[in-house]
Amino acid sequence: MRRRDITAETNDLAIGYRSRNRVNLVMQHLSLQARKGELVALIGRNGAGKSSLLRTLVGLQPSLGGSIKLQGKDLQSIESPILPRIVSFASTEPMAVRNIKVRDVVALGRFPFTNWIGTLAREDEEAVNEALEATGMMLLSGRSIDNISDGERQRTLIARSLAQDTELLVMDEPTAFLDLPSRYSIVSLLRQLTRERDKCVIYSTHDLDTAINEADRIWLMTGTGIADGAPEDLILTGTVARAFESPLLAFSSSEGTFSFIRGNQTGIALEGTSLAAQLTEKALSRCGYRNDPHAELKIIVRDNPDGTEWSVVNGLQTEQFRSLYDLVSHLPG
Amino acid sequence: MKIGISRLTLAMTGLLFLVFILFIADLLTGSTRIETSEVIRSLFGRGTTGDEIIVTQFRLPKALTAIIAGAAMAVSGLLMQTLFRNPLAGPDVLGVSSGAGLGVALTLLTLSPLFTLSAGSALQGWGLILAAWAGAGAVMMIIMAVSARMRDIMTVLIVGLLLASAISAVVSLLQYFSNETMLRTYVIWTMGNLGNISYPQIRALALATAAGLFMAFLMVKPLNAMLMGETFSRTVGVRMNRTRIILLAAASILAGSVTAFCGPLAFIGVAVPHIGRLVFGTTDHRILMPGVALCGSVVLLLSDIISALPGGGHIIPVNTVTSLIGIPVVLWIILGKTGLGRRF
Repeated sequence: MRRRDITAETNDLAIGYRSRNRVNLVMQHLSLQARKGELVALIGRNGAGKSSLLRTLVGLQPSLGGSIKLQGKDLQSIESPILPRIVSFASTEPMAVRNIKVRDVVALGRFPFTNWIGTLAREDEEAVNEALEATGMMLLSGRSIDNISDGERQRTLIARSLAQDTELLVMDEPTAFLDLPSRYSIVSLLRQLTRERDKCVIYSTHDLDTAINEADRIWLMTGTGIADGAPEDLILTGTVARAFESPLLAFSSSEGTFSFIRGNQTGIALEGTSLAAQLTEKALSRCGYRNDPHAELKIIVRDNPDGTEWSVVNGLQTEQFRSLYDLVSHLPG
Repeated sequence: MKIGISRLTLAMTGLLFLVFILFIADLLTGSTRIETSEVIRSLFGRGTTGDEIIVTQFRLPKALTAIIAGAAMAVSGLLMQTLFRNPLAGPDVLGVSSGAGLGVALTLLTLSPLFTLSAGSALQGWGLILAAWAGAGAVMMIIMAVSARMRDIMTVLIVGLLLASAISAVVSLLQYFSNETMLRTYVIWTMGNLGNISYPQIRALALATAAGLFMAFLMVKPLNAMLMGETFSRTVGVRMNRTRIILLAAASILAGSVTAFCGPLAFIGVAVPHIGRLVFGTTDHRILMPGVALCGSVVLLLSDIISALPGGGHIIPVNTVTSLIGIPVVLWIILGKTGLGRRF
């Protein structure tokens, strides 16, 4: 793939808050990039400063040092009426209204283009329709925002940003409060926008799984700064594992997932290779057993035509079980 | 931003018609019984002296005031609700009416001995209005400062309540030191009265209201964006500081002017915007602004008609009637499906 234009770039950026007589520095020395057509996930723990960075990036909050360039222009030199045509921002702030229709929310994305009273011209209507179509919200466009699911509400906000017709779309926590399938569908929608519409999408999340699978680039907040690279690069260098280091979590670099570290003491010999055997290992791990081929206690997993059967062999004694639940509740210790 | 044209036209023409009908009804009814034909003759200056005075010097100014004041209070409430993102905001709830009242009290109870209180004097007209604007604006600024720090809408309401109490304490103090005539003028004013207004005062009220409505209408686009929140508004290019100042000024001018002449009209500001949203089925300020203004006129005309119903020379204070109409609406918001009315 050819290298695309840089949409957003920070150089030695310092972010934080300046109050009357105090400077509260959240993070500094940030040099990050996002290119056209890229999906960028900003990942960090809660309170790490994800929102601060995004708000600084879209010009809502002044930086404390360094520079930001959007489409090659210095953010500070971009005049305020022009900025809404370069970057759109969807935050987590709640709406004040309940009885507003999906289409009306999306139409507000045309704000920078409409006249003093906000009349939608033909091209505005077209942009709204296109945004509704692209996000799959056309059929629900007449519904009020209170009568749709959380995922659909998030799609509405994405459509609103899309209607604003900017190259850069910044979203703060678009997958917060969503269930797993909706989380995936929102992130894959964002990815689709980068592929089909050449957008540059930067979104913050603490959902590492979807980001590792879908994002082109991850901005990973570590204790000291932000690491910027392809998800696999960050895994390879051990950055991901370090960033989320915890005595309770272990990161599997090959699978890109975290799992709990357990004090697995008792050995148990597991025979079988089927899916049932894998799930048995998982269940045993949860209950404090570790797979040890030389252990005295043995479990044989058989896939019979009428269902799975587990045999526990303890010396001369053998017991049969028909479910993993029964099995683990009868294990010694 | 589309709503069915038929519903929009139907609602607008319906309301205009209703304003017209109620205006006529307000002229025809009153605490004194006057025949319809006599009312018409009086309007054209051909009635009997007594009836003509009642119709042209009392009923007509009262009906005109109801139309203007109703629209002004309702739009003021609409602006405050969007500005503070608070469905329970309104001139009286947030203490803005009290602030205007303090301005009026200072004028009536302390300054008035220095001037004549004759109808139509400078003090009665623009002086009173300016004092009310200053009071309303001061309270609005305090509320704005609080709501910038406190996201919780209940906190803002409580601060408004406390402000109103503090102001009423100050006013009590003023009353304690004022003489009987001044007190009487003031107490009658607090009951909310549409009928004590001279034509020069109506002109002042109409001009101020027109100015306030004009400023408000210039802001319909940013108001619509503000429904999505401040962050969104700023990122699409709304200049929030400028917008806030204009909205604050417009709301203060509208609520202040009405309060100066008619007293603190209760519940019109909180309740009517919700009636408007219900009637038009939209949150679009381009439609709501004129719609809510018309609803306000209708409600206040109706309240005025009801206040004269007992007949025999008796009139219920109009505030009692607006409260009886407004309180159920407010209750409906509080007990509505979003619980404590967190959103519109």
